[in-house]
Amino acid sequence: MTPEVAVQQALNGISFGALLFILAAGLSLIFGMMDVVNLAHGAFYMLGAYVALAVVQRTGQFWLALIVAPLAVGALGLVLEPLLLRRLRGRHLDQVLLTIGLSLVIVDVIGLVAGREIRSLPFPAGLDRSVPVLGGDYPVYRLFVIGFGILLAALFSYVHRRSQLGALIRAGVDDAPMLAALGVDIDRVFAATFGVGAALAAIAGVVAAPVFGVFPGMDVDALIYSLIVVVVGGLGTLSGAMAGGMLVGPADTFGKVLFPQFALALIFAIVAFVLLLRPTGLLGRVRITR
Amino acid sequence: MRRRVALAGAGLVAALALVTFPIWSSEWESSRYATTVLRDMLVLGILALSLDLLVGTTGLPSLGHAAFFGAGAYAAAIAAQRLANDNLLIGLLVAMVVAASLALVIGIFAVRAAGIFFLMLTLAFAQMVFALAFQAVDLTGGSNGFAGVQRPRLFGLDFSAPDALFELVAVTFVLVVLLLWRVRTSTYGRALVGIRENERRMRALGYDTTRLKLSAFVLAGAVAGIGGALSGWSLRFVSTNDVGIGRSVEAFVSVLIGGSGTLLGPAIGATVVLFIERVLSSSIPFAETVLGVLFIVFVTAARQGIVGLLATAYSRVRR
Repeated sequence: MTPEVAVQQALNGISFGALLFILAAGLSLIFGMMDVVNLAHGAFYMLGAYVALAVVQRTGQFWLALIVAPLAVGALGLVLEPLLLRRLRGRHLDQVLLTIGLSLVIVDVIGLVAGREIRSLPFPAGLDRSVPVLGGDYPVYRLFVIGFGILLAALFSYVHRRSQLGALIRAGVDDAPMLAALGVDIDRVFAATFGVGAALAAIAGVVAAPVFGVFPGMDVDALIYSLIVVVVGGLGTLSGAMAGGMLVGPADTFGKVLFPQFALALIFAIVAFVLLLRPTGLLGRVRITR
Repeated sequence: MRRRVALAGAGLVAALALVTFPIWSSEWESSRYATTVLRDMLVLGILALSLDLLVGTTGLPSLGHAAFFGAGAYAAAIAAQRLANDNLLIGLLVAMVVAASLALVIGIFAVRAAGIFFLMLTLAFAQMVFALAFQAVDLTGGSNGFAGVQRPRLFGLDFSAPDALFELVAVTFVLVVLLLWRVRTSTYGRALVGIRENERRMRALGYDTTRLKLSAFVLAGAVAGIGGALSGWSLRFVSTNDVGIGRSVEAFVSVLIGGSGTLLGPAIGATVVLFIERVLSSSIPFAETVLGVLFIVFVTAARQGIVGLLATAYSRVRR
């Protein structure tokens, strides 16, 4: 591997990691607050990409899509939580199972409405070029993904640590029943959490679409990667999603380049290794294994 | 005592009726089609029954059970091709051993987790098996699938004719039901139920719960592998779908709709799922949505499943 290729692959890995962070942050937030692993997270991701596709086809505006898709998918999450998940509050496993059903319905409806062909979303104007990076050409869009990931990470960290909302989230993650006992309307908090988590999945779906395409089955890919990221990084914390994304993204990218036959074994090994040494994941707050 | 004899008699009649289905249905216009659909229901039923040993009996919600089903399907098909041997017992043995070994490797990590985390890990690990099957094109045919699976023979019995193959599937199904009934009523099975109810107490009583859970995981994997081998022989085709999350979800939905922790519930659930996916889907385009909504309804309103609902209704009528 020449130095130029190594730099390119490192950038690829980091940009994939940034995407994984955005994706996993939503999953982790919902888990942290509600103790629910949202298995419809991949379906929300896919829905975000398809909404973006529809917006871009009608208006040609990628940036509009990046705003509309999370709003639409977030609104769906905001409605689904009180409609379905609230009925099962306290029965966490059943809530998780419920999200499997949600995922089946969402993915099937997308297929009915949008068809089941592989589609592509064009790169936004201005980001469809390449720039020279250390002697090689590198696509600007992937650099944008890295920057966008860093921007969101900084924004989340700020909200998490400094704002009133962040205090609410930290309290809810720590002890939701206590938060409710202190007079906070926990129903609204949970609905909002589910909505924001869904919106984050949709943002990841829009950002990923120009690179990976829009196709049936993308929901499963996204779900599996986000599960791996939160297992490795640790569930329920923002820093866990960051650490997981930054480990899994580059590991996956370099694994596929260096030894394509064993790339999966590498990810498997990382998951297994982390779970053996750190049952909470790298920076998590709940024990995944004994 | 009389009740047990009556139950055993009813079971025997049901098993005989099942195995002789192609004979007594031969008058029907759509007997061939019905036999094919029933055969595939029984195959999915075997997968669901084996999954319920984990979900219902032991309380381990696995969302990656298709990994072992698919592994069994590929193993039987590849063994027949590479060894140029279509012996039924060799096929079943290879399928079981490969599926059980895979279950052992995944189980060592997965059974250390419980509840939601167990579900996440089985899902993630199974998806890696899926990707492996997708990549190993030389062995599995990759995304094209493994076509032209050789149907087995045994001591002059040839299972290549559709009716003969149905008999094989039906007899195996009955044997699997008996096996799982035997396991669930044994001391071993009671220990598994103990883990579901209160694992900490079982540990305090001196049970090695991790080893028990691992053994259940491997046993369930081996039975799923048998189901996979039968699936490959039935369709003469194995594809990455057989290892994918879709198949795992199918099995899980079957278990929950039918009734987890009941002897035949998962198989009944499998007939419902396959009816929707096979029969209903030919008349409406949104069959998968129907399945999803049905599943949501059962999870939210009827967690005990069809068998549980029937049992409640029956006890009300008797009172």
